[in-house]
Amino acid sequence: MASPVSDRPTAPVDASSLDLLRQFEPVVYFTKGEQFFPTDIESYVRDCSLWEHNPDGRDELLVKHGELTTEKLVENRPAPFGAVRYLRYIEPLSLTEAAQMLGKQARLRRRLGYHFHAGIGRLARGGFLPRLMDGLFSLSFLLRGKVPAATAAAAEIDYNETFKEDPKFVYYGRVANQNGWTVLQYWFFSSFDSWRSGFHGVNDHEADWEMINIYLYEDSGRLVPEWLGYASHDFKGDDLRRRWDDRGQVDLEDGHPVVYAGAGSHSSYYRRGEFQAEVSLPMPSWVSEALHAWNKFWTESLGQQAGNLFRIPFIDYARGDGLAVGPGKSHAWSPVLIDESTHWVSRFRGLWGLFARDPISGENAPAGPMYNRDGSPRGTWYDPLGFAGLDKVPPPPQALQRLDKDCKEIIRRQEELERLIPEKADELQSLGIKLKGMEGNPHLAKLYAALEKNLAAQAEEVKELRRERVENIALLQGLTEQFERLKAGEKGDPRAHIHHLVTPDQPGPVFRFDRAAETWAAVSLSLLLFAVAALIFFAPHYFWAGLAIILILFVVADSTLRGAIIQTIGRVTLILAMVAALILLIHFWKWVLIAGLAVMAASLMVQRLRELTK
Amino acid sequence: MAKRKKSYLKKRPAAVSVIAVAIGVLFLIRLYQVVNPLLHQQVFKEGIAGPLLTGWKVTALGSALLSSLSYLLLSAAGIVVLIGFLRLRRWSWVLLMAWTGISLMISLVNYFYSHPNYLVMASDVVIAFALNLTSVQLIFKIRRDDGQPGF
Repeated sequence: MASPVSDRPTAPVDASSLDLLRQFEPVVYFTKGEQFFPTDIESYVRDCSLWEHNPDGRDELLVKHGELTTEKLVENRPAPFGAVRYLRYIEPLSLTEAAQMLGKQARLRRRLGYHFHAGIGRLARGGFLPRLMDGLFSLSFLLRGKVPAATAAAAEIDYNETFKEDPKFVYYGRVANQNGWTVLQYWFFSSFDSWRSGFHGVNDHEADWEMINIYLYEDSGRLVPEWLGYASHDFKGDDLRRRWDDRGQVDLEDGHPVVYAGAGSHSSYYRRGEFQAEVSLPMPSWVSEALHAWNKFWTESLGQQAGNLFRIPFIDYARGDGLAVGPGKSHAWSPVLIDESTHWVSRFRGLWGLFARDPISGENAPAGPMYNRDGSPRGTWYDPLGFAGLDKVPPPPQALQRLDKDCKEIIRRQEELERLIPEKADELQSLGIKLKGMEGNPHLAKLYAALEKNLAAQAEEVKELRRERVENIALLQGLTEQFERLKAGEKGDPRAHIHHLVTPDQPGPVFRFDRAAETWAAVSLSLLLFAVAALIFFAPHYFWAGLAIILILFVVADSTLRGAIIQTIGRVTLILAMVAALILLIHFWKWVLIAGLAVMAASLMVQRLRELTK
Repeated sequence: MAKRKKSYLKKRPAAVSVIAVAIGVLFLIRLYQVVNPLLHQQVFKEGIAGPLLTGWKVTALGSALLSSLSYLLLSAAGIVVLIGFLRLRRWSWVLLMAWTGISLMISLVNYFYSHPNYLVMASDVVIAFALNLTSVQLIFKIRRDDGQPGF
């Protein structure tokens, strides 16, 4: 459902950057139970120490906790190649301190009324095999670096104390102009990302930078909002973009776009709900290729639904039932204007929180708005159009001009072709006659061959020109229709550019036995391990057969609870049939070959005899 | 009555007939498995001439009777499934697939740990692949036209 352009709020072209940002600033709805809200970096930096991780593994303290300011943060300090500079929000805790922090956190949550309840968790939604993979993912934290639970607790306590002293919600706004678009960037900084520890998500890290973009174009001296691009995890491109007038996808409150923030992750969503995010386990390329081939056989030859066992589902809870910040809400924004001249934006290339030494970076803190973790420039900063796939889209007034210019160019070329084609065709015919005249004269053989070559090239050229002319007719028709539509103010389908529309889960009707499914999801993996241990103890001789039977029974029990028993029966039987077929093929390959040949011979004979009798 | 029968025949894909034949083969094998232990124990000649239990232990005759009885039940179930299958009932597809799965599991365990019955295994393979065909799943409403799971 699209609304007309006249309904949109506009701003004068000469409005100051801050006024522009304020006019379109978003309303952000958080999920009940969220612990960290957008805050200011000055007080955060004051609470941090500055460190440097050297390539030899040594960590060096550069500025002590309590002495750090944003000015000290950007002081010039030479460092060796491979060094990582990072802030540390929570200092290392002793065992006693860690226990105290966890206790304090529990008391704080009780006092604040910590209401988050996951409901049917991600594990019950994903099925048994993804749950098995999730177990491996959890075990991977034993090898990877991770942010300790006590650090998350201490961060929560610290943030609450700071917030009590100076309660404010901050965004860092930037205005950029690119290719006719005016881009309003709203950066939100939170002192901690508690997705894993607070909301059963993928990762935790100190410091979190999230961002949304609003894209405006100029029309008759006014800036009009046309597109929105909300950052969500590490996704980018067309799928992130929504049109301002897409009422089915974009919520507006008094001309301000609404953002639903993921609990703990602070990812931005257009709709409220629970979103499944999937994490693919890293694996060697040959395994990926084998899996791809298997998936192809499974879906195309056996007609089964595609699935990837090596993906673990996680849920991003963007319920929007918690605190709301923005215009018209009880909590307003405190905006801060930033650009490339802001010292901490351009001159601090380090991480804004703990460097957890996680090789896949999930638990390492992010860098600032302008840089990636490795210090390279961040795409969202230098290419805000490309970030949302808007680099190929001109602003509407320019689109009209461009279409008009393109149509005129094609018309000019058509006129040229109308003149060229008869000329070239005439030349071709004349060559043909000349060639015909040479036939039967062996002394002209050399000339004949050269002319023949020339004629072939000329024929190809005429053919190409004719094809171009016909293609141009179709192209011109399309462009003219598009021009007329744009001129009439029609913008077409607002979601035509989206390949994969992210929609919230609707778990309600899916599960037949919600409670039992949830309980089973929580205990099944442990039960499986107990069953395997019992098998090894009681019947080691039947280990493989026993393991297969146990796995099948677990999968069947799981799918019964998830209401997918029929599909599971089909899939399990099919896999068993493939194993049995392989065994039969190995033992009776000669008979299979003979039978195959006999069937082919009989079928061919029937076909040929039918032909004879017809 | 004859008219209804004709309409089933018209809708039924060829694979359904193949599966029906395979069930028939399995029925004959099961029937052999019903009769064979009784022949070994000479039940047809001498009747049940001996105890079935000695204390808590099952005798050879008792074991043969138990085995025949279970195979007889399986054969009877096979006939019920076959009737439902020929009448294109959804439950019969589910039962048959589950039954084939269990039978395949037993066949595979037998293959790895004792004496495999290749004829049963081959019949099960044929049934499993035939039941998985899109045309068969569509007619039994296991799958919808758009490839999604059935109703």
